[in-house]
Amino acid sequence: MLPALQFSDDYYLNYCAKYLARRNTEARHTYGCACETSDRRARISECWRFPIVDTHHDLAEPTRSTTNAVSFIYDARGCSVSTVAVTGTFASLHQRIPLQPVRFLGRETGYLATTVLVPKKQVHIYQFLVDDTPTLDPINIQRATLDNGRIWSRFFTDGCAVPLMLERWEFQLLGPLTAHILPFRTQTGELFLKQYYDRLDRHAIGSQYRFDQAVGVVNFIDKVIAREERHHYGDYRVALSLIRDVLRQRHPGCEPADAPREAFVELYEQLGSGDVPGWDYSRYHEPRYFLQLLRRHTYTGAFSHPRNGGNVLAAGWAFLADRYRDADGNTLFDWERALESPLGTSPDYRG
Amino acid sequence: MNAVSEPDQFDVVVIGSGAGGAPLAHSLILAGKSVLILEKGPLIEPQYRDPRGVSGFKRDELFATGPEKIIRVPNVTNTGKAYYSSHVEPDLNDEPHVYREQLGDDRATIEGYTAQVVGGGTQLYGGVSLRFTPLDFRLGSFNAGRTDILHDPDGSVRREARDWPISYDELEPYYARAERLVGINGTHENQAKPFRSGGTYQPPLSTNPISRFVEVGMDALGMPRYRTPLAVITRDHEPSGRRVPADPEQARTGYVNRYGDPLGLKSSTWVSLLAPLRDRPNFALRYNCVVTRLEAQGSRVNKVWYLDPAGSEHAVTGKVVVVACSAIESVRLLMLSGLADSRFAERINPHGLLGAYFLTHCFGGAHATVPGRYDKSVSLDSDWATDFAGTEAFIREHGLWAGAAIYNNTSDHALPLSLGRTHGNQDLDTVWNGFASDLRLTGEGLLRYLDGTFGRSLSVSFMANQVPLRENRVELHSSVTDKWGRPVAYIVKDWHAHDRYLMDVLARTSADILRYGGDGIGHHPVEGFGGVYNSDNGRARIANHILGGARFGTDPTDSVLDVHCRAWNFDNLYVTDGAFMPTAGGANPTLTIQANSFRVGDHLAERL
Ligand SMILES: Cc1cc2nc3c(=O)[nH]c(=O)nc-3n(C[C@H](O)[C@H](O)[C@H](O)COP(=O)(O)OP(=O)(O)OC[C@H]3O[C@@H](n4cnc5c(N)ncnc54)[C@H](O)[C@@H]3O)c2cc1C
Repeated sequence: MLPALQFSDDYYLNYCAKYLARRNTEARHTYGCACETSDRRARISECWRFPIVDTHHDLAEPTRSTTNAVSFIYDARGCSVSTVAVTGTFASLHQRIPLQPVRFLGRETGYLATTVLVPKKQVHIYQFLVDDTPTLDPINIQRATLDNGRIWSRFFTDGCAVPLMLERWEFQLLGPLTAHILPFRTQTGELFLKQYYDRLDRHAIGSQYRFDQAVGVVNFIDKVIAREERHHYGDYRVALSLIRDVLRQRHPGCEPADAPREAFVELYEQLGSGDVPGWDYSRYHEPRYFLQLLRRHTYTGAFSHPRNGGNVLAAGWAFLADRYRDADGNTLFDWERALESPLGTSPDYRG
Repeated sequence: MNAVSEPDQFDVVVIGSGAGGAPLAHSLILAGKSVLILEKGPLIEPQYRDPRGVSGFKRDELFATGPEKIIRVPNVTNTGKAYYSSHVEPDLNDEPHVYREQLGDDRATIEGYTAQVVGGGTQLYGGVSLRFTPLDFRLGSFNAGRTDILHDPDGSVRREARDWPISYDELEPYYARAERLVGINGTHENQAKPFRSGGTYQPPLSTNPISRFVEVGMDALGMPRYRTPLAVITRDHEPSGRRVPADPEQARTGYVNRYGDPLGLKSSTWVSLLAPLRDRPNFALRYNCVVTRLEAQGSRVNKVWYLDPAGSEHAVTGKVVVVACSAIESVRLLMLSGLADSRFAERINPHGLLGAYFLTHCFGGAHATVPGRYDKSVSLDSDWATDFAGTEAFIREHGLWAGAAIYNNTSDHALPLSLGRTHGNQDLDTVWNGFASDLRLTGEGLLRYLDGTFGRSLSVSFMANQVPLRENRVELHSSVTDKWGRPVAYIVKDWHAHDRYLMDVLARTSADILRYGGDGIGHHPVEGFGGVYNSDNGRARIANHILGGARFGTDPTDSVLDVHCRAWNFDNLYVTDGAFMPTAGGANPTLTIQANSFRVGDHLAERL
């Protein structure tokens, strides 16, 4: 049995008040760009935050930090619900973990919550059992359709590298597109990454981090469009299929992802100018907009905390730390110093 | 309905736990008064106080400026545009601030919010904790009769300048108290402010070597310099019981400005003033509770209405009620209370001054690329400051009405994302735009950019008084509402001609520091300098310094609050965030807000 933790009521309320409590009936929130305006989640602020995937500090093994604390919240305000439990692949599917009432000043608020520890780098599906009826998490935007056609709610933990949104060909095509933006395809960049990855345990990297998916940014994109920026999933789907069409027209007989480097240089410039011969503008009006989005995601993925799925093994930071040194060879970007172990070396900060 | 066990009557109800609310709450709790703080935001503990041993503040750049969100607020012209916010800033779609770009062009903005969390803006701030100069308190008399003020065609600068109803000398002991209790490091020597009560700064940490250029520049220009006072403890802090790590230099991380501090070394009002008193029986703190209106009977506010974390409404009573929601939101709360009851409106705003004379700072500066490269990720927010531009001599020489503090920034551009997302822009409403559209920063081009800028960019900022103008104001917006259906704040403001001139002068002065700093002879190239009025959205810009709108004074027809920050026509209603300021001061405002809050706290302790 996976033990459930019950954090303080305040822990849960810190999320409920800002993101869930409201009276507005307008579809005012960002997720509303990606769903029907009648969808309740279009009225909720940052519904991607649910369930809450938080740092967990293991007192027994303070430097390892291998799990996340995942908190499920069910908003039963104004409904007559007697019991809510959660069941999911993070525990045995037979196990029902009851959600407990969350109180404020001793009074029940109508929110119910519970927390479980889940290893990092994983993806799981779950359902609520609301008075025994299996129910999707009404807040969470992540859902997964199983082979049997059933839909479940889904979440993933820090540093997850399991593909969620992008198909294989999309992953492949984003490889050269993102690599073109980043500095790792330069001579110095390639050399550095090769040596860096060689030095680290290759098994830790995993097969999905192919060399052309520089420092895991495609994985970062896959995760950010699954969760925080779900509203951009459509941009990737449409723009990537148009890019594939354009490259196929220009380089028949070769897989678009394998098109010569010059093809990507040319395409990149055309995307930037907004004038892409062969582009179907009726399907995606502004190719330049897509390029700007891709640029922001790529740079963010390369240099943000590895928990977000990119900057794998902190390779992006390590590149800067290695490149910028003083005359004595000391790094001029000592990122490790401020960060939690095992990633960094801070004796105080726990992540 | 309140739970039976929870009291609903207090000596003092304080709304907002930031710089304006916490200091007086601290004093009154110690004086044995029963104090309730109602705070809209969550309570995020530092590691040492968290039962789980981790903090909700993280050293993660995506906490400071998070993922993209889309503005979907109806009735504003920037609907559909992207914005980015910190995890403790409000959701713009839930509670936007709207400003007037021009007539018929209202835009939602993230400017004008500090942070919504216990501790308010002091959780995210850079911690620059400067006193105002004695002159900042008497700009009315200083400018009266002057004929040498430039760029003041209609005499409005002289007409609108005001003295504060208190002098520097009266506030000085409270500055000293704030510095000691909050926990600030820095140096006194060369500051143009007398430290009559003695100095209580903790010693500063090492400077970042990049600040050497600022030292050289300030020295070459004869600008007396001092270590910028910063609200970060560098030694164990006896008043709050906080302890520093074995190596206090660990506090220098680059995750300072815009980040809450997971170690609690940054002296937010929570860790410094409130957390140490948390267990006192006469102190109640209700967070995740938003106050929606005040209700009065005659001259007494007798109910404070708030929504709890589930959105249920409750009322509490205080013998005294203190509003400290940060200026825009305080003005809004008072206006919303007036909307519900016209008698309240008449009392709080008999002369149409509530919301008027809204202020921020004239700010801006200069930036340059320095020779060599430095690890800016090992820094606090600033190393050196000078009061050179705050002296009478400087002010008169340039035909200005008031002076400024100048200091260098060390933590800007310290980390790779902050470098990228502010490329070509400096402000919250336009982050990422520059990087996303500058296609040159690609592959080799991006590498050259990183080579040229990472660890090499140095900026110097100025913080100066803005001319108070009645037409610069906060109102309630006529059609945009928040997530509770209440009108949001509407900010109408512009820069006076003299503000623009003053920013030009100070930007040049800041640039000179870099010019001389780079080579000692004044020829080092400066890449950009200017005042904030030059930016595309210059009208929206607030620098997180949210001041005025309920100024205090001695004349009830010219001010909203009396000298004790009590609303003139109310017996028990006080406003103690930045709203009370009649002029913005030539320095970052928070220490002054805190000192004044301690002052009002003493008054209330006597009164109750
Ligand atoms: C990134 C950043 C950097 C900064 N750097 C500096 C600096 O270096 N030096 C400096 O002097 N200043 C700095 N500031 C500004 C500083 O934070 C503010 O000057 C200061 O916090 C203002 O104090 P206040 O009491 O007016 O408001 P705050 O400290 O913001 O406190 C207001 C509180 O009221 C709460 N509140 C609002 N409405 C309600 C309501 N209706 N009900 C209940 N609670 C409510 C808010 O949640 C908030 O916690 C910075 C700010 C930011 C955001």
